[in-house]
Order: sequence, then C-alpha cells, then structure tokens
Amino acid sequence: MQQILKPVKRFFRKYGVAYAFIAVPVISMLLFIFIPMAISFYWSLCDFSGIQAPRFIGLDNYIKLFTVDKIFIQALKNTLLFVVLSMFIGPTLGLLTALMLNQKVRFQGLFRTAYFLPVMTSMVVVSTIWKMLYNQNGIFNTVLTNIGLSPVNWLSDPDMALISVVIASVWQGFGFETVIFLAALQSIPKELYEAADIDGANGINKFFSVTLPSLRSVITFVYIYGLIGSFQTFDQMYVMTKGGPVYRTTTIVLYLFDKFQDLRLGYASAIAYVLFFILVILSFIQWRLPGSKSTEA
Amino acid sequence: MRKIQKITGRTILYIVLIVTSLIMFVPFYWAITSSIKMEQFIFASPPQWWPSPITFKNYLGMLQRVPGFPRYFLNSVLIAGAITLAHVFFDTLAAYAFAKLKFPGRDAIFFMMLLGLMIPFQVNMIPIYRILSSLKMVDTYAALIVPNMTSIFGIFLMRQFLISIPNDLLDAARIDGCDELGVFARVIFPLTLPGLATLIVFIFMNAWNDFLWPRIVLNSDKMLTLPVGLAQLQLKNTSNEAQIMAGTVLTMLPMILVYLFMQKQFIEGMTSGAVKG
Amino acid sequence: MTKKLAPIVALLLIVAMLAGCSGSAQPAATEAATTAAAGTEAAATTASGTTDTEPVTITIWDYYGEATPVKPLIEGFEAENPGIKVDLQSLDWNTTLEKLNVVLAGGDAPDLVTIDMTWLPRFAALGAFTDLSTYANGELNGVPLSEAYSEGAMKAMTYGNTLPTIMCDFDTYALYYRADLLEAKGLTVPTIWDELEATLSKLVEGDQYRYQFLADTFHGAQFIYQNGGSLLNDDNTKAVYNSPEAVAAIQFEKDLLDKGLAINWTADQGERIQGVKDGRIAMFSDGPYYMGIMKSSAPEMSGEWRVAIHPYQTEAGSYLGGTGLSIPVNAQHKDAAWKFIEYMMRTENQIELYKTAGAAPALTAALNSDEVNVEDPYFGNEKVFSVFLESMKTARPFPYVRSWSDIDASFVTALQNISLDQMSVKDALDASAAEADSFLSQQ
Repeated sequence: MQQILKPVKRFFRKYGVAYAFIAVPVISMLLFIFIPMAISFYWSLCDFSGIQAPRFIGLDNYIKLFTVDKIFIQALKNTLLFVVLSMFIGPTLGLLTALMLNQKVRFQGLFRTAYFLPVMTSMVVVSTIWKMLYNQNGIFNTVLTNIGLSPVNWLSDPDMALISVVIASVWQGFGFETVIFLAALQSIPKELYEAADIDGANGINKFFSVTLPSLRSVITFVYIYGLIGSFQTFDQMYVMTKGGPVYRTTTIVLYLFDKFQDLRLGYASAIAYVLFFILVILSFIQWRLPGSKSTEA
Repeated sequence: MRKIQKITGRTILYIVLIVTSLIMFVPFYWAITSSIKMEQFIFASPPQWWPSPITFKNYLGMLQRVPGFPRYFLNSVLIAGAITLAHVFFDTLAAYAFAKLKFPGRDAIFFMMLLGLMIPFQVNMIPIYRILSSLKMVDTYAALIVPNMTSIFGIFLMRQFLISIPNDLLDAARIDGCDELGVFARVIFPLTLPGLATLIVFIFMNAWNDFLWPRIVLNSDKMLTLPVGLAQLQLKNTSNEAQIMAGTVLTMLPMILVYLFMQKQFIEGMTSGAVKG
Repeated sequence: MTKKLAPIVALLLIVAMLAGCSGSAQPAATEAATTAAAGTEAAATTASGTTDTEPVTITIWDYYGEATPVKPLIEGFEAENPGIKVDLQSLDWNTTLEKLNVVLAGGDAPDLVTIDMTWLPRFAALGAFTDLSTYANGELNGVPLSEAYSEGAMKAMTYGNTLPTIMCDFDTYALYYRADLLEAKGLTVPTIWDELEATLSKLVEGDQYRYQFLADTFHGAQFIYQNGGSLLNDDNTKAVYNSPEAVAAIQFEKDLLDKGLAINWTADQGERIQGVKDGRIAMFSDGPYYMGIMKSSAPEMSGEWRVAIHPYQTEAGSYLGGTGLSIPVNAQHKDAAWKFIEYMMRTENQIELYKTAGAAPALTAALNSDEVNVEDPYFGNEKVFSVFLESMKTARPFPYVRSWSDIDASFVTALQNISLDQMSVKDALDASAAEADSFLSQQ
C-alpha cells in the first residue's frame, strides 16, 4: 500500500498547488459549460420540445439544415456577410485611428474616449439608440430630407437592413481595436524606423516594411476574438430588426433563438453545433497560420 | 517649405480627428438630448438639435412606470460587484498557474477551456437552468453569480500579463520562504494591478450589461437587474421614445463613470497585456 | 497583511451573498459579513411563520404590465381564501413567452400564467397545460360554459377535447377611423371594400390620412376571411390561403398600397400611436385594447375617432384572440390556482378588467353589462363594445396545429415580400402555402 501511495503523494506535493489554483475555474467550466454542451449535443441528435422527452433521431436535424432549410442557408449567408464586413471595416478603422493618435497629438485622452466610449456601452443600449436614429422619421432621414435628398429605408429595405446593422456594430466596436493598435504602435522601437530612413524609405514604404510586420501578432489576436464574437452576433438584430425584413438580417444565433421559442430545442441545438464546428475549424486554421503567437506561453 | 508641409499635415490630422470624434459622439448626443425633450419633438422636422423646452418629465415618468428602479440598480451593483470580485480572485490565481507553474496537462487543459468560447450562450442556457433548478437556485443572486465566477477570457487576459513577470522575482520570494500562495499575494498580485484594472472594467461591464440570462433565471420583481427591469418599459404600443431614451441614458451612466474613473490604469493595462502576446 | 486579507474578505462577501440572498427572503447586503460568519440564511421578514397549517402560496405570471387587472384582485381573493397567498410576478409579453419555454419541463413553473391565445397551439399540442375541463365540469362559477362564452370564444379555448385555458379577455378587430375627417368631407363610414377604397381616395392627402397596412397574419387573415377564404382547410391538413379568393383579398390590400391609399407600416415607422397622432394614419384595424392606449397616449384626439365593423367583401370576418389563464401541467398548487381563475372570472371582476386594463372581458355577461357597454365619450359617445361584440360573432381563432408558428412565419414572409415588391401576390402565397403544406405533413 505504501509503495503505491508514495509516488502519488510526491505527485501531489509537486503539482497539488497548481491544480488547486485552477480547480475552481475547471470545475466551474465543467459544470456550466462542458456538461451543458454535452447535454445540448445529445439534444441536437433528437427531436425535443423541452416539455416531452427527447426522441433520438440521429443526424436528421443536421441533414435537414443543409438540405431543406432555406432560412438556415440565408442565415449562414447573412452571418458570413456580417462577419466579412465588420471584420474588414472595424480593424481597418481601428488601425487608421490608432495611426492618427500615434502622431503625438494633444488631447489624446479625449479622442481616445470618443472612439472607446461606445465599446463600454452594452450592445442592447447601442441598438436601442440606433433603432431610433434609423426610424423613418428619425434624425438621419430628417437631415436627408431637409437637405433635399430622399429618405432611406434603413431597416425596412431588404438590401439595406444588414448594412445598417453593420454600421451600428462597427460604430460600437472599432474603438476596441483602436486602443489595442495604439499601444502596439507605441511599443515599436524607433530604431527600426530610423534604419528604414537611412535606407531611403518614404512614409508608405515604412508602413509596409516596419509597421505592419511589427503588428502581426496583435492583428492575429484581434482577428481571433473578432471572428469568434462576430459569428455569434445576436443582440443588434434582436433589438433592431428581429431578423427581418424577410430574414435578411437573421443571423445564425438569432435563428437558433427563434427555434428555441418554437420549442424545437433539438433543432436549435443542431444549429448551435454547426456554428461551433465552423468556429473550431476557423480557429484551427488560424492557429496553423505562420506568425500566430497569440496563445503560446 | 518642409515646415509648411508639416504644419498643414498636422492641421489636417487634427481636423480629421476632431470631425471623426464628433461623429462618434452624435448618437450619444442624440440619445441624451432626446431624453430631455418633450415627446413631440423627437421626430420633428427640421430636427431640434437643442431641446427646447428642456424637460425632466421623461426621467420622472420612467421612474414612475418602473418603480423598482432603485432596487434594480442596487441589485445590478451587488451582482456585478460580486462577479467582478470573484473573477479577480479566481481568474488571477488560475492565470498564474497557467503562466508560471508547470504541471501535466497544462496546455491541453488551457486549450480545452478556450473551446468553451465557441458555443453561443443561448445553447447552454437551458441545460444550465435545469442544473440550477434541480439545486433549487432559481430566482436567487446565486443563480447569477455562481455560473459567472470565472471565465476563460479573464484567465487568458491575466495570463498574458503574468507571463512577462521575470521568474527571478518569484524564485527570490520562494527562497525567502514563501509558499505558493505567499508568492502569489506578495509578488504577483501587486504587479498585476494594470491588468487587473482592465479585467475589472471588462468583467464589470459584461456583468452589468448581461440581459438574457438574468431575464430567464430571475422571477421576482425585487431580484431584477437594471437591464432586465428597464426592458419592461418596452411595453407593447405604449412606449414613449423619449422615456426609452431616458432609461437608456440611466443604464449607460454607471459604465461611463467606471470608465472615466479607471481610464488611466485601464488603457495602459489593457494595451501592455495584449502587445506582449 | 492587508493584501492577503482582501481576497479572503471578498470571498466571504460572495459566500454571504450566495447564502443569504434569494427572491423569497429580504437580502441584507450590509450585514453580509456578519451573516457569513453565522452561516445562516438572512433573516426573513415574516418572523412569525406558522409551521403547522402552511398557507399555500400560488405564483402567478402576468404579462399585462402596468395596466394589470390581476393585481387589484389579489387583496379580495386572499381575504376570501385565507389559506392562499398570491405571489404576483409582473412580466411583459416577450419575457413571459421566453420564460415559459424554459420552465415548462422543470420544476419552476408558475401555478397560473396569462397566455396569449396565439401561443396555445404549440403548448397545447405538447400537453404543457392542465386540462381544465376536470375542474370546470362544463361550468364556470355555476354558469354553463356555453352560456358564459360566445361560440367563437369556446372554440378558441378548446383544443381537441381538452380545455387548456380559460379566456379572460378577448381580442377581435374592428375598424378605427377618423370620424371628424370623414364628416368634414361629407363622407360616410365604408361598409364594403369598394366603399373603403372610394372613401380613402377622397380622404387621403399626400401621405396623410392613410389606411395602416400591417404585414402580419392578424391583419392579412382578416382580409382573406372577408372574401370568403380561409387559412387552412377544414381538417387542417392543407394550406388554402393561396385560393383564388385569398389571392384576390391580398391583392386588394396590395392595390391600396400601390394607389397610395394605404401606408406600409414597417417596424421602422415607429409605434402606431405616433402615426395616429401625427395624422399619417386615419384608419386602422385592431382590437378593443387599443382604445385604452389611445385614451392614455392621445387624449387630445378625444371625439375624433370611432369604431365600426371592418368593411368586407362577401362576409364580415376577423381574427379572434385574446388572453387566457392557464395552469402549467407541472404546477404545484393547481387547486388553489383554479380558485383564482374562478375568482377572476366573476362577472364583477371581468367588468373591473375592462376598467383597469381597458381590455375587453371575455365573459358574455360582462360584455353585455351596462358598465362595460357604455357610451364612450372618447369615441363620440358610441357604444364601442357593441361593435366588438358584433365583430366577435364572425371572428375565428387561428388553426390549432403544432406547426402553426412555422406557418405563421411563412405567411408573414409572404406578406412582407408582397408589400416590398419582391414577389407578386400569387407567387408569394403559392410558395408560402407549399411550405405550409410541408410543415403540416411533417407534424
């Protein structure tokens, strides 16, 4: 008995503290993330209303999603469009504003606040405000008509609605990237720029040869979180359009939330897992890309 | 010649900065001024840029229609505060372990936890509810706090800060006779203050703004948090845009104050952590 | 030393909160630290709790909001039933639905909940609500159900041969119109579709004074009914809202839009009451509860509006809905909940429902009473409830099939496509009906 216990005791003396430190998060995640995930994965393989017992149907939900569900395909398209637009515009704006702020301007704190304050506001609040701005008789249209242009159906035109939501989302979010890029810029050693000057580089050259490469790991960080977050976008659409008009602003998560409301929990869970697999694959691809040092110790 | 170029360059820079900052402020400006406008002027054409007359009726009206407002406010403060404290404690401890201690399975466990970010909350909501329901924890502060005491986001964030602390400092403390908890309290904790400020603001912000989960798991009126209580204002067909804006401003206010207060530590802390990835 | 204490104190605070704070006890945040040490639940305010004959407490979820007819009844009910206490939770429409979805399987269902009649198909199909026919035994407060309610209401409350809900207010549509404008122009209120169009052409001025077009099933369905059509066939196996009559009905609506006589009221137009007040809307169709909203939000328009039966083509027709009182099947105190239903459905309390919530009581006796069927000064001293009562005679609830919400969503999408000029009326309705058929066959 003593023989077996000895190495065990040694193990715990060596690593016990570390395990103790991570104990609460691990248990908490087990209980509140991984076990629920396992449960809902099982539900995704069932026909389940939440009230009566689940009935196992294998991969039927998944098959249905990709073969007959036109709304799901539309949701995929909408989400993809949203992700592409916001991940393109957002970080770009963030970088541009960071570059500007990096030019040793006065009142830097004030400008930083202007870009960052929306980030501090909840998406629900932001959406409520923008919904009012986008009202047919809201301030945007009122200004347009007062200068002689025609009003825009910001949220009721099927082709315009998603763009309007993207604008509000980007307004809320790009300040986050501004602050991160600004700090990254401020830590690039001056010597690198001086060396480029000696080589006769002009402003644009320096940007591409010194600035961008130095920002690479920060850009990766921004894109990982941005991607995972924007694929799961929900709040803005829930408040501003409820997925309409004609499903043109329905995102994946909004659609699965709808299915919950209809008491089709199995189907909703399947939708969630399709999203999950998409994100896992994307993260994996990103992990393998050269230059991604964001998660290594 | 070069000097003139430089001056015009700077001028343009300032102009762009000022104009873009003003544009960023417009929605806030509009929300605030709408909240002190009389309702008939909200959609007036030509637009009323400065409210006249100014009225605080909307705030009064909103507080009347949502009489539990002070109570919701208090609940939000308590719950967000408790969640933040829990995160500060648990996330930092775990981050230290992942950053500085070596133990079997460290990287595997860390990666597994990252996976948890990729499933939307709406999906886990019902199973979590059932778990809490079987523990008879529905409609309690605990229901909001216990599932939210730690997060991989917080752990990840703190880990980035901790990695940059030189190991020599830790070894010195160990040689001085501190146990791991002592090392943590004496050496680590003080050095993480900038990162901690970041963590505090983010976690407080998310906890304060959380809407879906409290709505589902809280029943009694006196337990509601502020966003949930205010959402009741959106009563079908009877909502008043000006009052809704007043409610919105009131919801935003605490976060803005927290930001302004912690601005210095927050921005510096957040950026130093992200860069040294 | 203080650095080490801080996290420990923080932990204690958290533990204290977890132990001491719940919905049923009064939280005492400032005493958190001391109660943590004692490790007991925070003191409840009901100091003298009897442990022998525990009073039963029923939980009621009420979506009426601030104009709730439920709250004023609690005191009287508790006085009459000393063994029962009522815990009322005032939610709103959205929240009630979302929470019901979560609790109906577990153990936290309320004992009584107000439901919108449109929710009934999905919940009743899943057996989520208690069959109240065992409690009612064909009667309500001593009156046979068939006498207490109109035929339409009885039909709406029945699912198969169960009674999953007791209706407490009803919703059926009538035409609200600006009588003052009609009078000024020497027009009379239209009674058939041709007259509706003619009157509108003389009434509309630019983009003012139009008929409100809403792309939802409530309003679309009524036009179909009014042309002799239906949503589903008699045994609910096939969608028939693309029949020639139905297509013609929706086409009529579309024509009103195209001719500028109706305004496409999308969500970004704001709330209807804005359009009512600023004159964009001079005619719209909705239920009796809207009268209350107009009185509270547009008191300055008193005397300008009236209600009338909505103009039709072949027969009058409208949607029938309302609010029902249901007892979830996993509720803990069903008997006590039933007692509350009976109390709330007493004629005098139904009359009160009108007075507090401005909604139309579902009980026929209350509807016919003098207190409810009064001349309403806001509506030019018209006996407004006679109009809604009349409308109820030809009103129909939505079909009670499990996949109703899918069919509804499909129909709404069709209407949106039509009103946004994305598809023709026939194409949109045909496509939607085909979808509906597949939903029905998969149930």
